[in-house]
Amino acid sequence: MSYLGLVESPDPLHDIGAYSNALEGWLGSNADVLTLAAAAIPEYATRVDAMRQLMAALHADGWSRYGWPEAVGGLGGTILHRAAMWEVLSRRNVPGMALFEHLEILAPALVALGPTDFVADALPRFLAGEELWSQGFSEPDAGSDLASLRTTARLTDDGYVLNGRKIWTSWARYATWCLVLARSGTTESRHRGLTAFIVDLRAPGVEVRAIEQANGTDELAEVTFDDVLVPVDRVVGDVDGGWKVAMHILSHERGTFAWFRHLPLYQLLVDCSPDARSADDVALGNALLDLAAVTAASRAGLEVHASGIPMGPLAAVPKVLLCAAEQSVNDWVLATDPDLILDPFDEIAAVRRQEYLFSRIVTVYGGSQQMQLDTIAKQILSMS
Amino acid sequence: MTTAGGISEIEEEFLHAAVGMLGKGDGTAALESLGWWDLVVDLDDRDLRLAAFTYFRAQGRCLATSPALCTLLAQPFTDRAAFAPGSVVATIPRLSRRRGPLQLLVGDPGDRRLLVDRPGSGAVLLDRDEITLTPIDIPGRLDLYEVTGNWSRTAPAVPEHDAIPARDRSTRLGRVAVALEMLGAAEGALALATTYSADRVQFGQPIGGFQAVRHLLAWAYVESAAISSVARQAVMLDRDAPVPLDEYAKAIAGRNGRRICERALQVLGGIGFTAEHDHHHHHGRVLAFDSVLGTSAELTANLGASFRTGAASSPLAAAVLAGS
Repeated sequence: MSYLGLVESPDPLHDIGAYSNALEGWLGSNADVLTLAAAAIPEYATRVDAMRQLMAALHADGWSRYGWPEAVGGLGGTILHRAAMWEVLSRRNVPGMALFEHLEILAPALVALGPTDFVADALPRFLAGEELWSQGFSEPDAGSDLASLRTTARLTDDGYVLNGRKIWTSWARYATWCLVLARSGTTESRHRGLTAFIVDLRAPGVEVRAIEQANGTDELAEVTFDDVLVPVDRVVGDVDGGWKVAMHILSHERGTFAWFRHLPLYQLLVDCSPDARSADDVALGNALLDLAAVTAASRAGLEVHASGIPMGPLAAVPKVLLCAAEQSVNDWVLATDPDLILDPFDEIAAVRRQEYLFSRIVTVYGGSQQMQLDTIAKQILSMS
Repeated sequence: MTTAGGISEIEEEFLHAAVGMLGKGDGTAALESLGWWDLVVDLDDRDLRLAAFTYFRAQGRCLATSPALCTLLAQPFTDRAAFAPGSVVATIPRLSRRRGPLQLLVGDPGDRRLLVDRPGSGAVLLDRDEITLTPIDIPGRLDLYEVTGNWSRTAPAVPEHDAIPARDRSTRLGRVAVALEMLGAAEGALALATTYSADRVQFGQPIGGFQAVRHLLAWAYVESAAISSVARQAVMLDRDAPVPLDEYAKAIAGRNGRRICERALQVLGGIGFTAEHDHHHHHGRVLAFDSVLGTSAELTANLGASFRTGAASSPLAAAVLAGS
């Protein structure tokens, strides 16, 4: 409060710069939990624990509550607060959001379209790292063609009964909850007959099987649902309105998530610079240009979301730019570090190898690159 | 076309108005109508700066020409030497591998005096009759000249100690301006190819129905959005940018501008490679501006080297986030 015309000190709720500065100060005095999360840890279960501890501390002292509405346990503010939090963390070497990615993919849709009482209970647990989330969209026969998915939801006296199989479900192995897109209408109903359900992965009939990936990690999973009962109040959006929820989620996954995902790439460039050769400066320059394009384009996406306007097909642009940057950065990292492929003993090399290999597949998830280009041609360039 | 650079309503309106006026072909008249001389004297005002730089995007799209760039380059010198507003145009230095240092001029200077900067010994001011303008006849519909004259012994109008900061500012403003003009020129090429893809029929259907063609143009759009986003941040942050964003904007505009024109050419096919088709003017303008104030090849290598040695690795994202 200001009295008698005294100038108020910068307020983190209304001043992003003040928020960032205050958070940096806090990190300075909570070095232990930060050091743990910033370490190069190839083994996922250990990395997950380190991130949970960091997130618990950030939540306990309120930092991760900025940017979320008070009605669901936040402190108010906008997505710019969340953007600033991860910017500061990545500058302090936190290597990425990892299993907290869904805070910026799923959680915005849960807050906007989910059952408020449930979300008010679940979001703080997610922020604190107690109960994590996953996203059940893709199926063995429904990847780019999401509207052809076959997992069914049948309404009974006890609630909805889910049957089917989801695949490429990131972080399901560590998650308590899954937002599942299932067919509540007829097979012919395509995108009009889908509903988004909040499914408890601890429920009877759910089986989560981790998928060992080509890069040596296993954050992806296959999730099967065998007569899984879901209470009727666990619907996000409207019944048969799942497509709208999916589009809300994909708008974040493509449009604003680029901001969160590209930040650690700057730190990766800084970390690799001392060992780099001048012969690779052009490749580094090009990677920097690609990264700057993501910074600038996803910044515009944050602004659009902060103002409450849907991004629509324009969300495809930061997504395609992010993929290009992720690949050119990792191309340069590979050039600077010959140990990256061959050294199984060094933990830094091991993590860089995982990241390098994962960067080869970024053009597939969240809607394949070909789908993004189709969207741009049709909906932005108006090619009939 | 929708822009993904998140441009504001003011810029959108200004871009629309400028394209409307430049469509009539006379860049000099458009500058008067758009109040150019009021914009260029107050570049520390963010909204005026956004409008001034948006002009160059419009000029590129329309392949119009005017002395706007050379008056912008003169402005930092004008500020220090108190020349009459709008009375001076600055030449663009170019180092030829074959012929050594040269000076260029874009747009007919009219009765304005020419400022020629001589790093190390200040900038001189020359009357129109003290110099010779030789037109450079290359594609691009640029009113482009090589400037010759004997100014080596002329007393400086801006002494070296004032010219040093003016030179730096002038170069940085110029880079962002030509980045936006390259963006506009490349967007023009993309628009030509998009229209053509709807009209040109092969195998019984417009070629725009083929995914190979659609993806070429979608990539070109993404590349234009990248230039737009970076150049806009360079204008927004201006002197507050933690890294040389003018160099980033110029480098990505040259690199992506060329890529966009190449993709458009592929879609246009043979007709796009003829003198009667406008594509080569859009492409030519991109190539011309990529060749001055630091090429994309030079700037990209320098950005890499500066970052690697830690000379320019400040956090861009933090500044971009804070500078809304």
